[in-house]
Amino acid sequence: MKNFHVAIIGGGVIGSAIAWELSKYKLNVIVFEMGGDVASATSKANSGVIHSGINSPYGSLKARFCVEGNKMFQSFSEKLGFPVKWVGKYVIAKNKDETKELERLKKVGIKNGVAGLEIIDGFEVKNKEPNVSCLEALWVPTAGITLPYEMTIALAENAVINGVNFSLETRVINLKKENDSFSIETNKGTFRNDLLINAAGVNCRDIVSMIEEPEFNVYPCRGEYLVLDKNYHNLINAMIYPVPPKKQGVLGVHVTPTIEGNLLLGPSAEFIDDLADKRTTKKMMKTLMKEAKVILPNLPDNAVINAYSGIRCKLASLEDGGWADFRVEESKQTPAMINLLGIESPGLTAAPAIAKEVAKMISKHIKLETKNNFKTWKFREKRFQEMTQKEQSKMIEKDERWGRIVCRCEHVTEAEVIEALSNSLGAKTLSSVRYRCRAGMGRCKGGFCTQHIVRIMENQFNMDVNDIKLNSPFSNLFHGRTREVEDD
Amino acid sequence: MINRQVDVAVIGGGPAGLSAAISAKEHGANSVVILDRNSWPGGILPQCIHDGFGVEETGESMTGPEYATKYIEMAKQENVEIMIQTMVLQFDEKQNIIAVNKNGIHTIKAKAIVLAMGCREKTRWHAMIPGDRLSGIFTAGVAQSFINLYNIMPGKNVVILGSGDVGLIMARRLRFEGANVLGVVEILPYASGLPRNVVQCLKDYDIPLFFNHTVTSIAGRERLERVKIAQVDENMVPISETEQELKCDTLLLSLGLIPENELSKNANIEIDEITGGPVVDQNFETNLGGVFACGNCLQVYDTVDMLSLDAKRVGKNAAKYTDDQKQKENGIRLLSGEGVRYVVPQRINEYGKMQLTLRADKPKDVSTLYVLFGAKEILKKRLPWVNPAIMIKIDVDISSKVLESGQSLEVKIK
Amino acid sequence: MIEEKEITCIVCPIGCRILVRTDEKQIEKLDGNKCKQGIEYAINEALDPRRMLTTSVLVKDGEWPLVSVKSSQPVPKNKVFQVLKEIKMVKISAPIESGQKIINNVANTDINIVATRTVKKIMK
Repeated sequence: MKNFHVAIIGGGVIGSAIAWELSKYKLNVIVFEMGGDVASATSKANSGVIHSGINSPYGSLKARFCVEGNKMFQSFSEKLGFPVKWVGKYVIAKNKDETKELERLKKVGIKNGVAGLEIIDGFEVKNKEPNVSCLEALWVPTAGITLPYEMTIALAENAVINGVNFSLETRVINLKKENDSFSIETNKGTFRNDLLINAAGVNCRDIVSMIEEPEFNVYPCRGEYLVLDKNYHNLINAMIYPVPPKKQGVLGVHVTPTIEGNLLLGPSAEFIDDLADKRTTKKMMKTLMKEAKVILPNLPDNAVINAYSGIRCKLASLEDGGWADFRVEESKQTPAMINLLGIESPGLTAAPAIAKEVAKMISKHIKLETKNNFKTWKFREKRFQEMTQKEQSKMIEKDERWGRIVCRCEHVTEAEVIEALSNSLGAKTLSSVRYRCRAGMGRCKGGFCTQHIVRIMENQFNMDVNDIKLNSPFSNLFHGRTREVEDD
Repeated sequence: MINRQVDVAVIGGGPAGLSAAISAKEHGANSVVILDRNSWPGGILPQCIHDGFGVEETGESMTGPEYATKYIEMAKQENVEIMIQTMVLQFDEKQNIIAVNKNGIHTIKAKAIVLAMGCREKTRWHAMIPGDRLSGIFTAGVAQSFINLYNIMPGKNVVILGSGDVGLIMARRLRFEGANVLGVVEILPYASGLPRNVVQCLKDYDIPLFFNHTVTSIAGRERLERVKIAQVDENMVPISETEQELKCDTLLLSLGLIPENELSKNANIEIDEITGGPVVDQNFETNLGGVFACGNCLQVYDTVDMLSLDAKRVGKNAAKYTDDQKQKENGIRLLSGEGVRYVVPQRINEYGKMQLTLRADKPKDVSTLYVLFGAKEILKKRLPWVNPAIMIKIDVDISSKVLESGQSLEVKIK
Repeated sequence: MIEEKEITCIVCPIGCRILVRTDEKQIEKLDGNKCKQGIEYAINEALDPRRMLTTSVLVKDGEWPLVSVKSSQPVPKNKVFQVLKEIKMVKISAPIESGQKIINNVANTDINIVATRTVKKIMK
């Protein structure tokens, strides 16, 4: 049984941000993640938007952490090496009623401390966004986009470099508090620690219920998305949002440019019973296209290259309006257990601020002493595709594997795949490669690169063909050999 | 940076690229280089271990690897240079190619370029199949490469969506390797693949073929566990009462092929929305002078034989272009009319005899094919049957008068 | 013994369903074909259906783990799985030349299994 000061349950963006924040101090920290990699659930399946803070009521934790987090993003991104782009967003009003809503959003935004908000008329919007028609729009310059999975990976890998332990494919089975410490039973053994951080996202209630009777409910709300081919990236420059629909506690189907040049449509909002039900549905695919066309009529029909869904962890039911504030608090019944509950949108934006807050809460239990050898490592420098020809030549001269393209759509090299598979977290699934270097993310969905990645996994990382997985522990890609090879 | 000059540069070393390169050399091009991103020339032929290749071309039936070997040997004899593991990153209207391999970045100035990039398979999202995101979903070609090249089994209980040839051939292949093939699901009322493959790959082994059916959803926790299939109505909308569940661990997608033209698009080559390939004239020249297209990046062929034969003509034209780089007029358009899905070439800018390749839009019994110049029939031909799975080839003679009129021609099947 | 078989003709895409009635080694009746080309196919299919067989054989020390193979002649349809079973038990060392005989007289059919590609040897 190993002893840790702090155990974090959940390797999403919140758990990883906390892990990185804590890695600055002289602490023994472990993170348990049940997936094959970090960001394997809602943290990878969202809009990738850095929100401004106009959508949450004044005085709420959502508003506070969102505005604080937003301001931290630029330096976070520069330090850790994940991308951000401050594309801004338009909330568009199609009629007089909706323009009133713009006024309201603006007022709330200003009160929350959001800078630069401006209501502009449809004509001006047309100048900036020729494909968008509206009566008026609220321009939100401080809204931006990022790659949520790259951000989470960058945080987690930096935490590992600074001594945090990440235990992947590790499911928490039971929790006990004995005297002043917790005993955490997992499929990888039992661990003992002083402080427990519940950052289990949509599973946060299950974790609480292992140790006390939860006095709250989780109402999972599924959001589906469609990803469009890069060929259509120039339809918009900024994010285009509708006026938020009432009574769901969501922002409505919007069209977002992505860092990589695709367009994202979504999300839908559907309250569901099973919080693991991440399917996409024909019905929502149609609805998304229909609703997105209301704000962007020129959207092409046959350009979808991907669909996915993420589950929002809501603490209020549809009947209760779907909106509840974040809860970032120490359990009253179980001291030293810090619960992060209902961290849905704008959780990605809020993550840096929530991490700081949690560190502050921990400092009440353990004296936080800064490490001298804390270092920051940039998650990624330039990709091969982003380099100039001169830079590309230089890399190939150093290592010829930079000259071997293994992903035809995204022009990813063998060297980049090897680097992705050598990550400090030890994640070695097809998805972990995909999210680190983009091999397999393009329009052919792995038609060319899968065989190369499998070859590299087998030959250079000595992986058994039956251990090659898509993402999670039981997502095996293959069923053995066509012809069994005996050792002789 | 490595700089060089060649007469003809061929992008892609599959059967089309090999055939075009050999022919270019035979027709007088001094230096011909093939650039291919794989570790071997021959494209996907080495994974197509079944036979039936070359029958139309030579009368002899070969397997894919044998067919590839024959062409690779010919290329060697003609001193065609083949650069493997070399990815073309871009080319421009001045025939400058930028490519990369382990030796560095190459800039290749060619007198003529032949596009032979082939095609890629449609994915789950082309059919917009909803459900869980799981392992166990493969395109048929990817599964074929794992089984036949890498000695890896993709699964044990398999459903195949789409009755294209790759899907049919994979049904038999999986059966041979001990997998249980639950059925092939086809949304159309007829097979997309060749009748020979329907008989020899499915009927021989009692593998069910579900016509007018589609996969409506995919489910499972982490690996695929089951798919739902349902009959579709005349508008191809699934009829929910007919839905049934098939327990399987693998879904192979054989939904058709898309010509791979990302490079062409970046070079501003005009693309035909129906074929997915470049718009070409009777010499297979694109709107960029000196850039020719052949093989599956031009149009998806039924058989490699027909593809190779056309590619030979392309190689010859490219070689001719290297000593006679004349600018051509835009010429007249050749339009697809009633009963015709598409026709290649789409443009004609020289008079004389030429060959058209086209596809019908649905299967029919006895029909008549017309090439019309206004109301005038330039060509009328009786066809005993038509089937979209079988490409139609016809020879037509275009007079200078027709060409000079500037008026479009129309091809019809009634 | 008189037997009736329905055979789907594969000579052209019409796919005539040809009804063939056989008496041991004799054709009694043939019906349903729209042209003459289907007759020979239907007779062969009714009396002695055969298939070219292609699969692969495990390779030791090769640049590829498998070598693709074919039957030197079409295999009687009812022996296909017997032949496959025998092929699956074979393992051959690289180098292998295209056309090289891998199995002689496979499953007592008088048919050989030959390589359809070259696989070079690699040093481990």
